[in-house]
Amino acid sequence: MVLRSALLVALLAAVSAAFAQERVQVVTTTTDLRSLAVAVGGDRIVAVSLVPPGMDAEEYQPKPQDVLRLKQARLVVRVGLDFDLWVDRLLAQVGRAEISRGGAAYVDASLAIAVLELRGMSVGPGDGHAHGSGNPHYWLDPKNAETITANILETLARIDPANAAAYEANRQAFLTRLTTKLAEWEMRLSPLRTMPIVAYHNSWPYFARRFRLDFVGFIETKPGVPPSPSHLAGIVRDMRARGARIVVREPNEPERDVAFVASRAGAQVVTLAASVGALPRADDYISLFDANVEALTAAAATR
Amino acid sequence: MIDALQFLWPPFLVAVCLVGIHAYFGIQVLARKVIFVDLALAQIAALGATVAFMLGHPAQSIATYGYSLSFTFLAAVLLAFTRSWGTRVPQEALIGVIYVVAAATAILLIDRAPQGAEHLKQILTGNILTSGFNDVALIVPLYAAVGLLHWVLRRHMAGAGSLVWEFVFYATFGIVVTSSVAIAGVLLVFSFLIIPAAIGVMFADSLSRQLAIGWIAGTLVSAAGLAASFVFDLPTGAAMVCAFGVSLALAGALYPFLRSDRRRSMHTAVTTVRWVGAIILVASALQLVLAPRADQPLFDFAEYVVPSLRAVYFTRAEATTFADASEHAERYRTQAEQLNETERRNRTEGQSLDDFTVARISSFLKSYGEMSKGEQFVMGEVRMRARERIRWPAALGLLAAALLLAPVPWRRLWPRQIG
Repeated sequence: MVLRSALLVALLAAVSAAFAQERVQVVTTTTDLRSLAVAVGGDRIVAVSLVPPGMDAEEYQPKPQDVLRLKQARLVVRVGLDFDLWVDRLLAQVGRAEISRGGAAYVDASLAIAVLELRGMSVGPGDGHAHGSGNPHYWLDPKNAETITANILETLARIDPANAAAYEANRQAFLTRLTTKLAEWEMRLSPLRTMPIVAYHNSWPYFARRFRLDFVGFIETKPGVPPSPSHLAGIVRDMRARGARIVVREPNEPERDVAFVASRAGAQVVTLAASVGALPRADDYISLFDANVEALTAAAATR
Repeated sequence: MIDALQFLWPPFLVAVCLVGIHAYFGIQVLARKVIFVDLALAQIAALGATVAFMLGHPAQSIATYGYSLSFTFLAAVLLAFTRSWGTRVPQEALIGVIYVVAAATAILLIDRAPQGAEHLKQILTGNILTSGFNDVALIVPLYAAVGLLHWVLRRHMAGAGSLVWEFVFYATFGIVVTSSVAIAGVLLVFSFLIIPAAIGVMFADSLSRQLAIGWIAGTLVSAAGLAASFVFDLPTGAAMVCAFGVSLALAGALYPFLRSDRRRSMHTAVTTVRWVGAIILVASALQLVLAPRADQPLFDFAEYVVPSLRAVYFTRAEATTFADASEHAERYRTQAEQLNETERRNRTEGQSLDDFTVARISSFLKSYGEMSKGEQFVMGEVRMRARERIRWPAALGLLAAALLLAPVPWRRLWPRQIG
């Protein structure tokens, strides 16, 4: 009896292992890249994101399981631009040449992205980022998904050439859908073009560029440092002078500071997701923008 | 100025309320020698809030507050017992264990409920700047009630009471800390608790005088910290904590003058300052001679304060190169800023830039960054070489200055026979 159940378990394990091997194991650093990898790979890949949904990817602390995931990964996709620096140490620990920087199964999704707000290696004045590689939140421009998925497709087709045509078709279908959606989002956000907006963290330049939104100030000037009174006073003064009615906050940012600024300036707080899974409705790349566009238009309508 | 008052008035009121209750608890905590008990209680309250998040209660709901409070009471029971357990192991050790275990447990739970991470961070840093009259309206009745209770029970609160009174002490303290930490963060609450109380205990013996001194000191230092944070554009909580640190140092320096022989204290103070100054000069001389290319803190500081000091030891060629590089670096920086600004404005104004133009801008920015870094390297190199060149005479000068400054009794060391 015992022997039989043991055999059964072994058989099951073998079958599931074989099944898993058929699908390409993809590890991404963030949920956004995971969603885009799935858009290319479809059900021929199994993608996991190291950073769980809703967590701040810039401050992520890797767990032992992450090493295991990377050991089994056939493809690694990262944000780059100093956004997910912690993955370098993980990759060094795993020590597989093909998924290390420059390896055949390593994708830096920021390759060929038109980077915004590059400031040499010095700390930019008051832009909330302590690195010089430019602003890393480039996935928030839906147009950039073309480049990101192209980067993923190129490497995926190289490591799994048998399915290259299917990946290509998946990507085309996704981009067609995205283009229609983009036109819809642009139309819905067009009334907000003249409205000045303040955000807690400078996550939104790419989003602002695509949808022509005017982010006039940020509450946080340096990551992890609470704003000074003179900075807050300046923001509130600016908001009053320019009639800014919207303060954008991400779910993992301090509620009190944002509510304080909003109440002083007579504005309302809009919670936006800067990555997939940060809000319950934003569960893939397209619904991320759906949710944000919905929240912004709702706020603009109630003013 | 009106701006400043408008922004600083509410947090100042909150700070006065917090100083009011915490200076009292601080004196008690110092007497009981349980210095870090507020950290443990605050962390336990945060753990309670985290559990509430995990169970799906929103922040600032009654349920979340209830969880915080129940956890705090549990901790109060534990803390009341730690005194009797603390015969072999010091009580502070047990309090530390409660703190770290509560903090670690909260991290483990947060891993399952990411929306709580913001709350935990908030507990750690707090932000007294964004507190307001609604906070005052909440804490004034609460602190008044706790204060009244302690006044009524003042005989039992003096320490060394039974388990029940110990529990009452820690439970009420827990209620206070739970609310204050949510407003100001653990760093600032710890300063409110310990520093005014320490200053009071230093200069007075009766509880009422200690309290009065603590309250006055705490209020003045809070005002100074808030003002400094506005004037120098600093994060408020951190500026206030440092102001409290400075105030304690000043009180410590003042203590011997008020408590013992004034002339002898003065003499000791001057001697100490002269020795410290001489040691800094000798160390700087050694650093300059042994590692002329390394950082020279004394030189760097002097040049930062008076940039024209460079003219003293730079040759004309060095001065020209330095000024040139500095001017170029500044020019590259401005040009990069202009490009960034152009791109930013184009997001909303006029024709939007295409990807190709944006990519070109970013490659220009990269070059400007590199060029600016190059100029800064030139500036550093020029300065290092100049210092290397003058290291022997400069070091001798520093040593001579150190000899003059050091309070060595030269006259007594001088052989008498010659004179």
